[in-house]
Amino acid sequence: MKKTGPVILGFLVGTLMLIQFFTPNEWIEARYNNVLDWKQVVFGITLILGVISLFVYHWKKIEKRSEGWGYSVVTVAGLLFMIVVALIFSPERGPYPWMFDHVQAPMQATMFALLAFYVASASYRAFRARSFHAALLLIAGVVVMLGRVPLGELIGLQHVSSWILDYPNLAAKRGILIGVGLGMVSTAIKIIVGIERTYLGKGA
Amino acid sequence: MAGAPDRGLFHRLMNIDRRVIFLIIALSVALPILLPLNLPIGASREADAYYEAMEALRPGETMIFSFDYEPDTMAELDPMSLATLRHAFRKDVRVIALTNYAGGAGIAERILHEAAEEHGKEYGTDYVFLGYNPDWSATMLRMGESIRRTFPTDHYRTPTDEIPLLAEVDSYANVPLLVTVTASALAEYWVIWAGGKFDQKVIAGATAIQAVLVYPYFQTGQLSGFLGGLKGAAEYERSIDVDGAGVRGMDAQSMAHLLIVVFILIGNVAFLLHRMQGRRGG
Repeated sequence: MKKTGPVILGFLVGTLMLIQFFTPNEWIEARYNNVLDWKQVVFGITLILGVISLFVYHWKKIEKRSEGWGYSVVTVAGLLFMIVVALIFSPERGPYPWMFDHVQAPMQATMFALLAFYVASASYRAFRARSFHAALLLIAGVVVMLGRVPLGELIGLQHVSSWILDYPNLAAKRGILIGVGLGMVSTAIKIIVGIERTYLGKGA
Repeated sequence: MAGAPDRGLFHRLMNIDRRVIFLIIALSVALPILLPLNLPIGASREADAYYEAMEALRPGETMIFSFDYEPDTMAELDPMSLATLRHAFRKDVRVIALTNYAGGAGIAERILHEAAEEHGKEYGTDYVFLGYNPDWSATMLRMGESIRRTFPTDHYRTPTDEIPLLAEVDSYANVPLLVTVTASALAEYWVIWAGGKFDQKVIAGATAIQAVLVYPYFQTGQLSGFLGGLKGAAEYERSIDVDGAGVRGMDAQSMAHLLIVVFILIGNVAFLLHRMQGRRGG
């Protein structure tokens, strides 16, 4: 029953969700909305689990004085501070939005901006035309990079850049999308009919 | 290194100290901001289509605007969000805003209020901010049934049943246009869930990286228009005649792209000459 129960449940819910897509029946529509409600509740609980897991992981590092435990102190302090100020002052006013605007936002933006420096350094060191295919990729990359900024438009590269995006890029992307779509459909069918059971854990 | 054999100019060129590269990049980005070059900005098909979709909205109509990004990409995406909202409010289009990222709420509040204040718009009747709802896929699907049921309260905990704007608009059926500005694959999911299931017209703003991924949806017409990266924001700003951070950033981005291409070329020339030298040597 431990294995059969979830498979039966998967079959019933999977079939119901499949049918609801094609029917305007009110009862099925209501059950579909129930499933969406549960999905959001489960999602909310996973967020709480994530916060607890993050806290426990860093707390253990602090207790054991593991390498880099000082960073864990900052993480735990930041986590607790934001939770406490949100509970006391509400997330809309007071220290919570101030911390977001003046600490979190600049830090996240800075981290992302640093990518420009690493991309420049990496492109210099690693982006080499070692083979014919690598050379093709390199040329396409250079054309698209320049074609997507005003400087490239001055020399007419935007047309070549658009052609690369419209044809070779789209052909590859479509192939991948169709493959992913077919894979999702087949996996869904396998789960509904109980062939695919890896979601039940090892040995299922 | 002391005593190490001199392996030539090309070898040294291939091993330039990365701090030198960092310094050159910093200068190439900072200088054009301080001393603008005013390079001409053209308009792409996708940005034109985005503008046309916004222009097609009539005064009094309502659009949904989803801030689907967090502060890491705000330098690239804030300009298109602000320009879109300025365009909407200028046309007296009402806005229902939300975010599918917890970190997007602060960004949404700042940009919404800035654009609304500029045009004297009132919260609750001209625009509303629903806030963050966990689980984007369920949010997108449920909004097709009922926005008020999906968001029982707005971001400021006012019951959505008491908000005048939402008394008139409660699902995609009453919304002629949905805009998502995103740094992730959410543009695709809005197309699939809101567009595919509810026939909702969708346009998107995306980071330059994501733009490549949303291109297929624009070509098929599932996405009615999109802005790709800061360049897309600059094109759109020019279309609505309000230059902002997108236009200001174009010179810096041009120089940074050019510099990276120059780095790639130097690196490859040095690599090829070094390889040829090695073959000759034996």
